[in-house]
Amino acid sequence: MNAVAWGLLAQAALAACAVVLAVATRGRVRTVLAGLSCALVAGAGVVTGALALGGRTVVVRVATALPLPPAVIAPDRLGGLLMLLVGAVGVLASLYAIGYVHGASASRTQWAALALFLLGMQLVPAAGDVVSFLLAWELMAAASTVLVLAEHARRRTAREAAVWYAVMTHLSFVLILAGFAALAATAGATSFAALAGTDPTRPGATVAFVLLVVGFAAKAGVAPLHVWLPRAHPEAPSHASALMSAAMVSLGGYGILLVGIRLLPGGPTWWAVLLIVLGAGSAVYGILHAGVATDLKRLLAYSTSENLGLVVAAIGLAMLLRTHHVPGAASVALVAALLLLISHAAFKATLFLGAGAVLRATGERDLDRMGGLVHTMPWTAATFGVGSLGAAALPVTGGFVAEWTLLQALIHGVRPADRVVAVVVPLTLGLIALTAGLALVTFVKAFGIAFLARARSAGAAGAQEAPASMRVAMALGALAVLALGVLPGPVAAAAAAALGLTGADGARVAGLGGVELTGVGAVLSPAALVALGAVVGLPALVGVLVVGRRRPATTDVLGWGCGGVRTSPRMQYNATSYAEPVTRIFDDALQPRRDVVVTHVGESAYLAERVRFAQHVDDVVEARLYRPLVAAADAVADRARRVQNGSINRYLAFSFTALVAVLLVVVA
Amino acid sequence: MSVAPLVVALVQVAVAVVFAPLVIGVTRQTRARLEGRVGPGVLQPARDLRKLLAKTPLRAAGTSPLTVVAPVVLLASSLLLAALVPLVAALPLALVPGDLFVVVSVLLVGTVAIALLGLDAGSAFGGMGSSRHMTIAALVEPTVLVAVYALSIPAGSSALPLIVAARRDHPASIATPAGVLAVVALAIVVLAETGRLPIDNPATHLELTMIHEAMVLETSARDLAWVDLASWLRLSVLLGLVGNLLLPWGVAGTAAVGPVLLGALALAGKLAVLAVLLATAEVGMAKLRLFRVPELLAGSFVLAFLAVTASYLVA
Amino acid sequence: MSVAGELPVMSSTAAATAQLIALAAGALLVTSVLVVWRRELSAQVRLLTVQGVSLAVLAVTIGLSGPRSARAELLVVAVLVLVLRAWLLPWVVGRRLRAGIEAGDAAREDGARLNPTASLVLVALLTTVAYLVSRPISAGVATRAGGGISGPAAFAVPVGVCMVLIGFLLLVDRRRAMSQLIGFLVLDNGIATVAFLTAAGVPFAVELGVSSDVLLVVLILAVLSRRMQAQLGSTTLDSMTELKD
Repeated sequence: MNAVAWGLLAQAALAACAVVLAVATRGRVRTVLAGLSCALVAGAGVVTGALALGGRTVVVRVATALPLPPAVIAPDRLGGLLMLLVGAVGVLASLYAIGYVHGASASRTQWAALALFLLGMQLVPAAGDVVSFLLAWELMAAASTVLVLAEHARRRTAREAAVWYAVMTHLSFVLILAGFAALAATAGATSFAALAGTDPTRPGATVAFVLLVVGFAAKAGVAPLHVWLPRAHPEAPSHASALMSAAMVSLGGYGILLVGIRLLPGGPTWWAVLLIVLGAGSAVYGILHAGVATDLKRLLAYSTSENLGLVVAAIGLAMLLRTHHVPGAASVALVAALLLLISHAAFKATLFLGAGAVLRATGERDLDRMGGLVHTMPWTAATFGVGSLGAAALPVTGGFVAEWTLLQALIHGVRPADRVVAVVVPLTLGLIALTAGLALVTFVKAFGIAFLARARSAGAAGAQEAPASMRVAMALGALAVLALGVLPGPVAAAAAAALGLTGADGARVAGLGGVELTGVGAVLSPAALVALGAVVGLPALVGVLVVGRRRPATTDVLGWGCGGVRTSPRMQYNATSYAEPVTRIFDDALQPRRDVVVTHVGESAYLAERVRFAQHVDDVVEARLYRPLVAAADAVADRARRVQNGSINRYLAFSFTALVAVLLVVVA
Repeated sequence: MSVAPLVVALVQVAVAVVFAPLVIGVTRQTRARLEGRVGPGVLQPARDLRKLLAKTPLRAAGTSPLTVVAPVVLLASSLLLAALVPLVAALPLALVPGDLFVVVSVLLVGTVAIALLGLDAGSAFGGMGSSRHMTIAALVEPTVLVAVYALSIPAGSSALPLIVAARRDHPASIATPAGVLAVVALAIVVLAETGRLPIDNPATHLELTMIHEAMVLETSARDLAWVDLASWLRLSVLLGLVGNLLLPWGVAGTAAVGPVLLGALALAGKLAVLAVLLATAEVGMAKLRLFRVPELLAGSFVLAFLAVTASYLVA
Repeated sequence: MSVAGELPVMSSTAAATAQLIALAAGALLVTSVLVVWRRELSAQVRLLTVQGVSLAVLAVTIGLSGPRSARAELLVVAVLVLVLRAWLLPWVVGRRLRAGIEAGDAAREDGARLNPTASLVLVALLTTVAYLVSRPISAGVATRAGGGISGPAAFAVPVGVCMVLIGFLLLVDRRRAMSQLIGFLVLDNGIATVAFLTAAGVPFAVELGVSSDVLLVVLILAVLSRRMQAQLGSTTLDSMTELKD
């Protein structure tokens, strides 16, 4: 057995160990022991993933109870990268959970589910055939549903969210199952290595592609299949939200990569265009809703929709450019897709962990009731700030490098003679630019409203900094965001290697940790940018220090209130008002509901005693697409109830009819 | 990284710092003359700066260290901008080649810094300015990227020095529809990004109509000096960029002393002309209602988009 | 890929012609977009004038670059275009507009169905559509001309198609009779642009016939709008529902 096989075995053993510890111990002991063993499971995933990424391969066959050939576990480089990614998020989330869990989220079921969830997620990218993939996928889906249910006894909304999540995640499972079945039937095999040779022009391949893409898109939270995200994330405990949003959705992206690049490369143009439309649409839709959201975790959930949308668009772009003979830019788009996944995992984990710390300290998820937390929670503020920079794709973070890479692919994907490329590329560029712009507003709002200014509620005023284990996890996440931004070269090179891009069409390290996209000849060295910034900013900084020392500031003056004295923190801008211009500009797309109730002073038409303003932004997709579907399903179910009238004779008659029908079919 | 382009970049920064207060001085003076006032002279912004640096900063109670840091970050980003944009010379740095996306994100770092500064004091005006500022910054983004995409098609690169150099060496590409439309779209965007009329009124004294000024209401003394200098730098650098795209002549192609001097002189000329033009145009213009601004930006986006289509057609 | 890169193979006159056609076509496109953008009716009429001049420039350029035999006829056509589209039609529309404003009609198009931002984004999409669908036409023109796809034909045909689409958009979107008229003229200018390119210049007789038709339509509509004004007190098309009932 080689190291990778040992690593896989270690993950399974440690997960079993974690489950046993979670069930056998109690109280604080359980939290610490189970938390540490979950971190070890994830750590084993990191090591195994790194080994697989380095090129170690192994093929493990596991016999299952199913009437199928043994399941094959064979992580390749790409799978190794994903396992590393998922494991790294798992380590952070497990460490964080030690300080975070309390009450229902510290129960033995929750810890056991966490361990199994980690194992399931780490095995998905290791799968080498359809059977093992689906088994790992289902383990992941079931365990995560349990995690969403953590607070079910306390909050009705948690139950609702879990129902939505369970339905969507199993819909996704069924679609993926059907897709793989169609693919396996077309190719006549179940191992990925054999499926990779399927002819994409056969009708079975098209059916498989559409089913698999829709299934994986649902898992990735791509609009319009995103409805579970903004419900499940606010309700799940924050470490579970971080895992689901940073790690699990990445596996949805991995699935699309697997289908589009590895299993069915060279498909028709419309496949690629489908992915681009799906991805870019999801990016704009997601960020628009994130921009106007006031629930911090809902905001982050919608931003996940946006980021995974960008990933899907990048994969689609790569497929398009490949089919249309622009290999250099196509490979850059692929590298961009992976960099987007990696950086998203880093900053989204940091942000969800930060949101959890705020929730724990203030009891608030509503941005409109936060404020001033930078004074009481400096660690959380700093790490959330770095995460926000990453999500807004500003230098020097991983998000910036990823977006830069994607834009390089778009800029160098010019083919004026090829009209499809010529039309699709600038439109995509415009949509991605709009997304990037709105992401800025969203995260300036999230950070600025939550952490700056003055507290808007008693909970926010009495906040206390998170305990050490949570601070460590958040700081590690923030460091990862920065490291990905300052030294992206090795990461990009590893991503290119994982995708099998070598030589002229890859990415390599340039200068001090900079990245060079050899496919298009573009270079970016954030370290050099920082150095240049330091050189030009140095005189300014020296000036600031010198002048600052000579003349210290007076720091307790009143702010400007038009000559009056401002008293109430309620006079500040809050998240709703901050997003008001965006809401108004995109009124047609968002369709917000506004209620304004004015109570007048006496009979006066001009003097208002009080004004009450409430605004709700519903998810248009949910209201227009899912509600009618749910209503229709309800109606059908009501009809079906007539069949079931409680009479035992009728039920026996059904069985009898079924028996006769089966016999007839068998004979025929 | 070879040393010569780096030295030139530092020269550019120095030149930009010297020119920025003058550009503002020229616009204010021109405006004053056109309105029939005598005007304070073109050196007044520089004198204001010196005065602000000598004062004691007043910071509102409850502000965080961000109030101190944000102005410096804003200034550093503006200085970096001056180093990256081809103003005096079109020489790409080896590892940070003035790629437009990098330039835009450096610009946005400053934008975000000042938006957070606006929120920090917890005043209603700061939040209002910050919210409007970020909304406009978000809507500007598509135009910038699509316009640059159009400009990058003939040059084959998104690095600004290469685009300017290509336009200088092939003047025929300046007068093409693609080139003109893209530069016009960029010019509208520059007005939006730097808070000029018709998007924002830099001289307003009404809090409710402010965007940029509302964010810096709580800022004083040296903090305000850094913010002011940085905003002036942004305007000058972006005007210089538009000038160099329209009239790329005089931009140095080598790091020798002669061409760089010539480049600085040419830049001074272009900036003077553009500053006067800007002020003249502003005199005859009213500020747009905030909710008409998206219309203007959508218009500039269409222009940028037409530029892309047009560049395909001639290619 | 660049224009400049192609210069050595072209003669200097050909290059100048290409540049001039590109600029004229660009001006046509931009004026059409500006008609959508500006709500001031008088500004729209001024834009129509600019558009007429650009069309005339296009006609002259094509005339001068064409075969010597057809040159005189095309120049006459260009003059006709200049007189009619750059002067007479905008003058008629402008006169009617001023009369309407004096009679109390609005000076701005205030009843458009789409908001300005949406209509501008739609224009961007229409450009793309025009670019996609005009391929067969440009290809046909290019083959007949014996040149590559990158000639002036390739440039101006999509512009013409785009103007037709924008004109239609104006007809659908706007409510005022004057705006309808302006939309119609943009549409017609678009048709003329395509015609100049595809037929390598329109025969004098055809252009004369088309132009007089357009003139007639404009005059009728101008009279009609005055009647509307007199009868209904406004020129909003919403008041006209007779066709339905």
